[in-house]
Amino acid sequence: MLFPLESAIRADAKTVAESGDYDIVIVGSGISGAIIAKQAAEAGKRVLILEAGTGANSTLAGYDNLLTTFYSAASKDNQSPFPLNANAAIPRSPQLRKLQAGETDSSNYIVQSGPYVSDTVYTRIFGGTTMHWEAKTPRLLRSDFTTRTLFGQGLDWPLSFEEVEEDYRLAEREIGVSANVEDQQYLGQTFPDDYVFPMRGIPLSYLDQQVNKGIEGTSVELYDKTYPLKVRPYPQGRNGIPNPAYDGGKGYRPIGAVDTHQVEEGGRCQGNTNCVPLCPVQARYHSGKSLAKAFAVSGERGERLVELLPQAVASKVNIDPDSGKVRSLSVKIYKDPASPAHETITVKGKIFVLAAGAIETARLMLASGLRSTSGLVGRNLMDHAYLLNWALMPEICGTMRGTSSTGGIVDLRDGPFREKQAAFAIDIHNDGWGWATGAPTSDLLELVDDRNLYGADLRRGMVDQVSRQLLLAFMIEVMPVESNRISVDPQYTDALGNMRPILSFTVPEYTMKGAAYGRQFARTVFARLGARDHTHYDPNDYGYVAYEGQGYAIRGGNHLAGTHIMGTTKTNSVVDKNQRSWDHENLYLVGGGSMPTIGTANVTLTLAAICFRSGRNILKSLH
Amino acid sequence: MDSYSIKTLDELKEFLYRAMQLEHATIPPYLTALYSIKPGANQDATQVLRVIVVEEMLHLTIAANILNAIGGKPDLVRPDFVARYPAALPDGETDFKVGIQAFGREALATFLKIERPAQRPEHLVGKGLIYRKTPPDITALASHPRHEDFHFYSIGEFYSAIAEGIKYLEAEAHGAGTTIFTGDGSRQITSEYYYSGGGELFPVTDLKSALEAIELIIEQGEGDGGGIYEDDDHELAHYYRFEELVKGRYYQKGDQPGQPTGPHLQVDWEGAYPIKENLKVEDIFEGSELREAAIAFNTRYGEFLQLLTRAFNGQPSLLLEAVPMMFEFRNMILELIRNPLPKHPGKNGSPTYQIPGGIKQPAVTRQAEVNA
Repeated sequence: MLFPLESAIRADAKTVAESGDYDIVIVGSGISGAIIAKQAAEAGKRVLILEAGTGANSTLAGYDNLLTTFYSAASKDNQSPFPLNANAAIPRSPQLRKLQAGETDSSNYIVQSGPYVSDTVYTRIFGGTTMHWEAKTPRLLRSDFTTRTLFGQGLDWPLSFEEVEEDYRLAEREIGVSANVEDQQYLGQTFPDDYVFPMRGIPLSYLDQQVNKGIEGTSVELYDKTYPLKVRPYPQGRNGIPNPAYDGGKGYRPIGAVDTHQVEEGGRCQGNTNCVPLCPVQARYHSGKSLAKAFAVSGERGERLVELLPQAVASKVNIDPDSGKVRSLSVKIYKDPASPAHETITVKGKIFVLAAGAIETARLMLASGLRSTSGLVGRNLMDHAYLLNWALMPEICGTMRGTSSTGGIVDLRDGPFREKQAAFAIDIHNDGWGWATGAPTSDLLELVDDRNLYGADLRRGMVDQVSRQLLLAFMIEVMPVESNRISVDPQYTDALGNMRPILSFTVPEYTMKGAAYGRQFARTVFARLGARDHTHYDPNDYGYVAYEGQGYAIRGGNHLAGTHIMGTTKTNSVVDKNQRSWDHENLYLVGGGSMPTIGTANVTLTLAAICFRSGRNILKSLH
Repeated sequence: MDSYSIKTLDELKEFLYRAMQLEHATIPPYLTALYSIKPGANQDATQVLRVIVVEEMLHLTIAANILNAIGGKPDLVRPDFVARYPAALPDGETDFKVGIQAFGREALATFLKIERPAQRPEHLVGKGLIYRKTPPDITALASHPRHEDFHFYSIGEFYSAIAEGIKYLEAEAHGAGTTIFTGDGSRQITSEYYYSGGGELFPVTDLKSALEAIELIIEQGEGDGGGIYEDDDHELAHYYRFEELVKGRYYQKGDQPGQPTGPHLQVDWEGAYPIKENLKVEDIFEGSELREAAIAFNTRYGEFLQLLTRAFNGQPSLLLEAVPMMFEFRNMILELIRNPLPKHPGKNGSPTYQIPGGIKQPAVTRQAEVNA
């Protein structure tokens, strides 16, 4: 329906402050918070979700406004659709600059203390980072759960793949993953006999097929082991063709979105290439879809069970010193994104869930002075290191057609080599060199300014140059390192007076070894394709890292993890295998921050899966 | 049973063909009005129109499913399939004309008529069809195949006649130990190929699903028995969505028809391009780029209908190819709508929807035909 639904579920600050009977208070409306809210509501629990953003994009009109902002923005970086809001500031890559040795840059929301400058981002608006994710949903490999045991690297999970497997299926259902089981059976990935994904796989793009034609049947050798090459489709959280065989033949029904009218609930993927930052037809999953379902759940007296309080920035977790339990949250409520004026309310509940993303959750814990027994809050920050390699294919391959990425080379996600160097997955980018060079704008400038082309020649020149572009993005494993971390310092605060996150990161040698091999690997692939390598890393690039005499520009992957790591004891971790804080029994720190390793899988599917486990655990503790 | 009732399977097939023709006939007016809205203006109207266009496409597909279920062959390339605009639609005792025009008060008035829940006044109940002579150059939609000058009182009545016909023929077949639902199930379009399009698309295989399908079409258009909300999903019927725009207010739960009490919404009556109503290719200056563009659109639209015909005749996966075609239409229509019409000061171009019949001819012949 076109009536703005949000007015029905929006809570107001005064009522929230006076209400003491929330079963669960959740900070953040991203996928983690959404899954737990929906589960809890379905079990009849009262839930309050605090959202730092305005919540305007929870209506279709608000969502469309984000699109309009994106279309009209000069810089098409992956935060460009999202409104400026100093009260809930978000990092943006165009603001970054290279640091000198020992320098700290505090001019942006995330304070970069180096030595590596990360362009990793997340989104502090309704829907969280699912508002701009790419929606690739590979599972972690079985071996990724035990890298310490198998390779002597990273940490083992306190959970085995087998313990997470069923929750992976729940997460795939929630997101509505499009994939074919037969495409995902590689490197020991197995599925129950009767399993099908909710939707059929999104087909490989023509570009994928052309790359595959050039490499299929060839292989590479690494530490005496042979790895055959081919392009495989990625599982994706976007609407394709529902699989009639899903759920024992009941089929899958794509549903849910901002607002409730069906036409607005997310159309089928149309192959728009701006999946990141924002899908124009909501074919790509975002947590607004899960929240729409959660908001629709009513209690016994017909009352809505899930409320959303927007413009609410959690500023402090208050602990009862005797019990160690969380007593309340201090929350700053601002009236207007353009003004720092705010009131502070206290929010009470039985269970508190911090679901604000790996950086904000750690930041809030640290800003509240909660440093945990293990001292690991904020430490072990992880994010995939991306190394871009780009080349021109010998003939036109239809670049710019299809979703951002449909396939990749993923056979080096695992192998005995992981004792010595990082594994990687390679995404083939259907949107050309955009990420690396700013194409196609950069191509247009070159053709006009440098080559003086116009009219038909210019049109032909654009087609020839852009539709042959191949970008291979190497998504390289990063293992947990305690010194890679988020911290806070009272000298760096935001508009509301909350301490900002300080990011200190060094790309680990294990990862750089993988990057160096990745560069060679790209050269090999380009040679087999007859593609001309145009890769160039500028020493002035903010992400420039020198390794063994060579330079590489390393990009962040926005796959944040590790800052409240999950483990077996309160001395080796911040949360247990249910993502419950070891030190505060009614506090859950959920999301990527709990993940002990990230392997070579985008983190969203896995963090969604473990939230189903947490949700069950929370419900058990409430009974 | 009166002489206007459906008595043979062939007649039922012809009725369903006309149902498809009727459902399709609303698409060009809605689509044109939608794309006539200037960028950034009329966000609410844009959503309403977009939603309704998609639902009309759903209705077209449902009608094709019913026709397929009884062994018929949907044919969207029959020369009379696309209405000649302005076309006549039943609306009580007097017909009205539905034409191609820009978004605005007049267009909305027409759209309200298209979707108006029309029930016979008491003095006309049981009085049979309405007699009205339609001029030969006007397409009379939802007319009776055997009695071209007799019209149904409303679209709802037209569909009721189909529902009665299905019930009658199926009962008759049942008596003879058979069924009218002999169509090949693989020709049904299911939600695999069409979803999030204003309703659940389900296969029609028997009397029950056929009647449900007809019910869905009626409810989405006119609302359920005069109620403003449809039954299941609490969605507003089309009529009341258009009314929200006219009244500048949203409906909310508990409202009475005609009296929305929800939040206000803005309609910018100037926020549309001034396109020339019911433009024909012949009216466009010969040799102009605009004329070429109008012809190119018509040709492509003809190919689209050909594709749909194949999709509805056993190749449902072809519907996937229709998606990029819809994008082409948007671009082609915008090109026409945003450019001035030569020799008509103050007016812009428009798609003409003069779709060349007998689409299987080579493109050159088709163009000549349109030019003639």
